[in-house]
Amino acid sequence: MPIVSSGAKGETALLMGNDAIARGALEAGVRVVAGYPGTPSSEIIQTLAGVASDHGLYVEWSVNEKVGLEVAAAGSFAELRSMAVMKQVGVNVASDFLLHLAECGTRAGLVLITCEDPGGLSSTNEGDSRHYAKMMEFPLVEPGDFQEAKDMAAWSFELSEKMRNVVMFRSVTRMSHASGNVVLGGITPGPSEARFQFDGDFMDQIGGPVVTFPGMVDAMHNRQLEKLAIAREIFETSPFNTYTGPDQPELLIITSSAASLYSREALALLELEERVGLLKLGTTWPLPPRLLAKHLKASEKIIIVEEGLPFLEDNVKALWTELGPEAGTKQFFGRKDGPLPPTNELNPDRVARGLAEILGMPSPVPDAAYGERAGELAKSRAPFRAMTFCPGCPHRASYWLMNWALKKDNRKGFVCGDIGCYTMGAISCGFNTLKTSHAMGSGTGVASGFGKFSRFGFDQPVMTVCGDSTFFHAVMPALVNAVHNQANIILVVMDNSGTAMTGFQPHPGTLSSAGGGALPALDIARICQAMDTKVVIADPFEMEATGEILLDLLDDEGGGVKVLILRQACALSPGKKGKRLFDMTVNEKTCMAEDCGCNRLCTRVFGCPGLIWDPETKTTRIDEVICVGCGVCASICPPGAISKKEVA
Amino acid sequence: MTAPQLPIDPYNLIITGVGGQGNVLASRLLGRMLVAQDYHITIGETFGASQRGGSVMSHLRISTRSAWSPQIPHGGAHMVLAIEPSEAFRVLAVYGNPEVQVIWNTRPIHPVSVITGQAVYPSLEEIARGLTELSARNWPLEATARAQRMGNPILGNIMMVGALSAISELPLGFEIFERAIGGMMSPDKVPVNLETFSWGRAALA
Amino acid sequence: MVETKENQGQAWIKNQVMAQGLCTGCAACVGLCPYQGFYRDQTAIIHECDRTWGRCSAYCPRGQVDLNGLRQAMFDPRHIIPELGAVKGLYMTRASDPKLRDQAQHGGTVSTLVALALEEGLIDTAVLAGQDKNHHSESVAVSDPSRVASLSGSKFSVSPTLAKFNELSQGDPSRIGVVATPCQALALARMRVSPQPGDEARVKNLELVIGLFCGWALSFRELKRLIREKTGAAEINGMDIPPSKHQIMALQTDKGIIEIPMAEVQACVRESCRYCYDLTCEFADLSVGSARSPEGWEVDRGWNQVLVRTEKGQELLELARSRGVLEFKEVPPENLDKLKAASLGKKNTCVGQLEAVSGQKDDLIYTRREAVLCQ
Repeated sequence: MPIVSSGAKGETALLMGNDAIARGALEAGVRVVAGYPGTPSSEIIQTLAGVASDHGLYVEWSVNEKVGLEVAAAGSFAELRSMAVMKQVGVNVASDFLLHLAECGTRAGLVLITCEDPGGLSSTNEGDSRHYAKMMEFPLVEPGDFQEAKDMAAWSFELSEKMRNVVMFRSVTRMSHASGNVVLGGITPGPSEARFQFDGDFMDQIGGPVVTFPGMVDAMHNRQLEKLAIAREIFETSPFNTYTGPDQPELLIITSSAASLYSREALALLELEERVGLLKLGTTWPLPPRLLAKHLKASEKIIIVEEGLPFLEDNVKALWTELGPEAGTKQFFGRKDGPLPPTNELNPDRVARGLAEILGMPSPVPDAAYGERAGELAKSRAPFRAMTFCPGCPHRASYWLMNWALKKDNRKGFVCGDIGCYTMGAISCGFNTLKTSHAMGSGTGVASGFGKFSRFGFDQPVMTVCGDSTFFHAVMPALVNAVHNQANIILVVMDNSGTAMTGFQPHPGTLSSAGGGALPALDIARICQAMDTKVVIADPFEMEATGEILLDLLDDEGGGVKVLILRQACALSPGKKGKRLFDMTVNEKTCMAEDCGCNRLCTRVFGCPGLIWDPETKTTRIDEVICVGCGVCASICPPGAISKKEVA
Repeated sequence: MTAPQLPIDPYNLIITGVGGQGNVLASRLLGRMLVAQDYHITIGETFGASQRGGSVMSHLRISTRSAWSPQIPHGGAHMVLAIEPSEAFRVLAVYGNPEVQVIWNTRPIHPVSVITGQAVYPSLEEIARGLTELSARNWPLEATARAQRMGNPILGNIMMVGALSAISELPLGFEIFERAIGGMMSPDKVPVNLETFSWGRAALA
Repeated sequence: MVETKENQGQAWIKNQVMAQGLCTGCAACVGLCPYQGFYRDQTAIIHECDRTWGRCSAYCPRGQVDLNGLRQAMFDPRHIIPELGAVKGLYMTRASDPKLRDQAQHGGTVSTLVALALEEGLIDTAVLAGQDKNHHSESVAVSDPSRVASLSGSKFSVSPTLAKFNELSQGDPSRIGVVATPCQALALARMRVSPQPGDEARVKNLELVIGLFCGWALSFRELKRLIREKTGAAEINGMDIPPSKHQIMALQTDKGIIEIPMAEVQACVRESCRYCYDLTCEFADLSVGSARSPEGWEVDRGWNQVLVRTEKGQELLELARSRGVLEFKEVPPENLDKLKAASLGKKNTCVGQLEAVSGQKDDLIYTRREAVLCQ
């Protein structure tokens, strides 16, 4: 059993932020956990799923984040401490329910964990969900280190129960995926008698129905504001808001989350601990006004160092305005007007540069000559590593075929897509096939629009792709729209049997569940057939046959929605990993290499990392460490110099 | 705090490689070994999309005092373990300094840009010369070749940890490794890991 | 212009041919590599190739081609007529077999000659134009002479003849005969006269080129739309543009003959055909087209005119005569002049179009003014 589950009270463990959060939830006696995979949040549910039976938890990978939050909310209504887990974009999906939830309130503690991605290291955006707390009026907390990640996760359930509302707990990549020492607390299992009371009147928080309704909005909204006031008062004396530094600092840093670690490091780098104060806030909405006022008054210069949008920055400035003349003149610094950059993640160097600029000090510059020389050498010694599909990835074969069919069809057809490993269809490893990409399921929604524009002279064939997990998450309603409105589109479901990008989690189309047990799998083909679309199933590794299927589908102009399910498991899936189908070899004599007729199609265009161009022999070679033996390259080699032999 | 004094506090170590090389395991392993001796450890990592053939970096902060930023400040690395040789240069360009030490695996993993002919991968000699220029001391290790012979190229990462234990001032002996690895793997996998650790340690002793 | 090694490879095809609307769809650049493909009647680029020279642009009929150099290399200069190219003789022929004539567009001469060449072992395989069930043009390799008749009939959109030739010629040594349109024949001529390094053995497999007179080709995409409008789901068994009734296109369908005004059909002509100067397919061993005579269309429609250009062409025609598979009729004396006039008309139109598009008088994008008339 992992230490997250088995570690004893008082023991020190090296925990990843996400594991610290999971431990905190266990210590608080959580019972229901639901969410959808999303980097950097996925490990929380993965870890808890692994120990669910040991601790009597219900853990679910829900079809999408909205349903995940709804499932967790049900737990709260049934008097079980519950937790919903997602990344920043997931909060947007859950937000419709979140608005209603915040208005009607909760029973047993309900915590919404959002793990966000400043700089978009593993996302297509760097959205900041903290605004939901202000906009929908519920409390927001942000842990400042790994110990707090655990302690505050546990405390959030208490806070939620004190004010009978959902609490948003916000982490970032450099907290969730970073690790540090954590002293563990004791695990107190929660009650396991679930029941839903509803006989009381509408405003009865413990025993009435849980309903938002016209006519009640004013009363419920007022109640919501009262709850917020309770939180605000608690936050005035919270141990998670800490101050270090002089009583009258030359400059006050107000910070939260991982940015507090960068700030501390920056102060150490510049040796400013005696001159600059550091107010680390763990409770960032609502802001405790008396605490803030005390520290704001003590300094003329204030810099807000936060990850994400200038949320804290705007709110601190607003608070200062409300304080009136007693607060005194201030100079505010931050990400809005500098000196901190407005975009991308922060780090100790960016913070240190900002502090140095404000205080008129030289920036801490590491050895400039070394840096220049090292940078120069890196240009030639460290060639750029572009993202690409894994060796053996079915998407490489699928996009190869889609690109081939669309180019051959020669009518400027295109593919709309969305989020997953298959988003890489937009770059050269996917042959630049994808031409639109937005949120989960957007590919089908956008295509549904394009597919209706023939009346405006639009004659480009419209295709869209989605993953098997995405199909259930968000594509189904868009597909219904396309079918009902008779849009002329081809939907390609790239079914690799799992939610691959985030670590191969299960979803409603797979047989397994979060905890590894068996659950009925929904059949995508049958669902599409039930929608009366034309459905074809093919294997992208059967290159020739599947290519012809694509050409035929493109020929079927005016045929409404056609669905092609390309079924081939992800190269990293448990069933495939470590198993080779084929041993691949290159015949150096027949390899045409750079000659007219080939021009290194396999290494220059197809681009599987298992194929190496050997400049000595001037032929292709198989990299046996990387190649997983899927056999696809043998199908594309023009002279047939690559051969595959079935492994016994 | 009973942890032995460090040559410098925080001591900053970077493990770098390509996704799939066991970078994360190596950093967790080292972390465990050192937490067991009462050090404050902070590890910062990037994974997720970067795993799809991309560069991976783990920053380890080792301290007797407190947790630190999960990202080492520029020019602040004391030791670099490069499971992939060209990645060492990428790291040194930002975090290197004249005093840094580097242990590097000699086996390249070609980026797609090299495979597609857009870039050229440096020769072993160019790598060796470059690393000698950019570090106070450096040690090449044929970890992958050895690991392949032992059954799995990914064992190269354990070899690097073993090698580090031989030359580092950090307390990273065999018993400490044995205790840590026992908590991270199933019992049947432990013997081959002990063997690879010892090989790495002996290689730089 | 001299054939150069640095012919820019695919970049020429992409930027100077396709982007300029000059691509004839001859498919000479298809089948030698995976970078171009042919579908319906369009040649398309599938992947980018960065070679600085390649067979694609070396053989492209809209490449930097030295037309007169080719003519001098392939033909006896004494036979070259400026308007028509090399002419050893002009004949009027038709298939002796009436069944074959019924299946054919006009006189069935091409089918007869191809079947004969296969029967006599002059060629092992013939590359002919066909159509699949969706009326997509396709190219068929035929070794059995009895199959030839089923592929009779004019096709009015481009077939990927040269893609098929390229594919076949990469196999074991054989003798291949190709029925080619003017642009296809020009590409084959470039292959024959200036094969690229390493390609010599493959090109040797080309044994015989039977050319077709060609005014223009229709764009499949446009034509399909037109046909759907006019006929709904009816089967198309053949198409013709009778010269006396040259204001209409006649479609043979299972519902009888449906006529479409030429003005509508003209709108479906391939853009690239406007820039073609070759009516009678000058780069062939012999070229075959429809006949004209004072006897009128009802008679002429069952006959062909044949221009013999090379020794090989001559031998084949004489063989057909001696085997009795072709009937011959006297050629009216004014026919040669009429043919020259018709061919000149196309050349002048072409030059006019190229001038308009290029803004030049002599340097006409892929050729020069003085090369349009044959020398």
